[in-house]
Amino acid sequence: MMVFRKSMIVARTDLKMALKVTYVKYGLVAVAAIGPIMILAIVGMIAFTSPPGAASAILQLMSPIISPMLGMVSIIPASLIAANALVGEREQNTLEPLLCTPLTDRELLIGKVMSSFIPSMALLLGSLLATEIGTILILAIAGHPMILIPDANGLFLLLTAGPLMILAMNSIMILISGRVSRVYEAYQTSGATVMVFILPMLLPMMSLETGGMIDPNAILFANILTILIAVILFTVTWVLAFSRFNRDRMVSLV
Amino acid sequence: MKLEEVAISGLTKHFGKIVAVDHMELSIPAGTIFGLLGPNGAGKSTTTRLLSTLLRPTEGTAVVSGHDILEEPVRVREITGVLPEESNHTVYPTLTAYENLEYIARLYDVSEAEIPERIEELLKFMELWDRKDDKAGELSTGNRQRLALCRAILHRPKVLLLDEPTSALDPIAAKRVRELILSLSQQYKQTFFINSHNLPEVQRVCDRIAIIDKGKILLQGKTQELRTKLLAKQEFRIRIVGDIEKASSIAQSMNFVEGVKPEVDSILVTIENPTENNSSLMQALLSDGIRIVEFAEEEATLEDLYLEVVKGGAE
Repeated sequence: MMVFRKSMIVARTDLKMALKVTYVKYGLVAVAAIGPIMILAIVGMIAFTSPPGAASAILQLMSPIISPMLGMVSIIPASLIAANALVGEREQNTLEPLLCTPLTDRELLIGKVMSSFIPSMALLLGSLLATEIGTILILAIAGHPMILIPDANGLFLLLTAGPLMILAMNSIMILISGRVSRVYEAYQTSGATVMVFILPMLLPMMSLETGGMIDPNAILFANILTILIAVILFTVTWVLAFSRFNRDRMVSLV
Repeated sequence: MKLEEVAISGLTKHFGKIVAVDHMELSIPAGTIFGLLGPNGAGKSTTTRLLSTLLRPTEGTAVVSGHDILEEPVRVREITGVLPEESNHTVYPTLTAYENLEYIARLYDVSEAEIPERIEELLKFMELWDRKDDKAGELSTGNRQRLALCRAILHRPKVLLLDEPTSALDPIAAKRVRELILSLSQQYKQTFFINSHNLPEVQRVCDRIAIIDKGKILLQGKTQELRTKLLAKQEFRIRIVGDIEKASSIAQSMNFVEGVKPEVDSILVTIENPTENNSSLMQALLSDGIRIVEFAEEEATLEDLYLEVVKGGAE
């Protein structure tokens, strides 16, 4: 609990600092809004152009394909915040005083991971809620029966594999952030790294058959496979981040 | 006998082929204000970073207040306060002065009840209380440095590692910092490890010094003892009204005068056996019409000692 208490002090202060910068605050919301806007646009298009009864059926079939979009979009701000975590402190010369405090490596790493995990999860949950409410409203206005987008399978995937993937992404980005000397280097690396974590979220597309129909059995299989990949990625990156964390190297970097 | 608060043995740090600190041996008694002097790149900041556990030594170790920097780094960080190099840039610019201190106080486990009281006391002492709600990035360079100093002493550490503590301060603020160091040393018996280029400041504040160059300690000891022992030159300042060149040539013509340095309104004369010869020199000058305003023994400064040791080391 002590580890977590100090880590939360770091995370809270980092968040406070980030949210004091207007373009960061609204930039994060804008990025996170891309997912719900895209999904609701698809829902709206289908709802207002399809005959009664057909819209819900079409959307139900499309849900496994469009739901992962929310997860993918929330990984992007997570990677950007995490990339800035340690190298950002170095660039503003606050890294040394922070490393001089009695924070252990573990407390500092968990704190930095949490400072990017908390807003990313808030954005993921916020975009999920906005998408669900938006879908219900659009379908109600268009006079269709109510369904959920993402559906139960999609929600299960986003609430299990999503947080694991965000944590894995954050761990590896924080490790990179401690090993580069400039913020732009960390951002460039995050661009490439984010692809590794986005790709598994596309696995539910496996459930799409050649005829364009969805195989319900494949949905479960794809979801389990995605979660497994997320667990493996999370474990590997977490172990890597802890074992490779090196104060001496961070301070010695010019 | 005072206990050692900082004991450094064989401390060495390599950065690739560069040897920043080379088998350093130092011991600093508790309650001492210790000054580490040396030219740029001598290894002063690396030594501070090693003592604050920011860097890991290549060889050797150090014990700070009974805790080894290699074996108990977290404990060492708990009992030390650090003012890093260019500390005016090391505060969080988007946080207010108060929030900067509040954050660090929490990381040092200062109790929630004590935090406001300590912050107010320090900010008032540093004359920053009126600026407590201003973002640190909006403060002047000197005020940011004062804030960084508040941060270093907020948790009342046993050992303070200060890297150029007054480098960005105006003379009044620098004086206040010196007063603070002396007062903390007397009140809480804290040990100070100060890196500085400011030799008069070190001379005023530090009771022990070491001179470092190319990572090696060239000289260490009590400030007063080193000054008198190593600089026992019999140098006199003769302030005159009249022709400096003429006075210099008269002094140089005396066989007991070892050296003459003319200055704007005086000459600095090194005299052999001054008890016997001072009056002869004075008479010679007076008889040639030179009016003497002052004839006083020149006190050796730390700057002289520093130049002598570093130059000697280089040679």
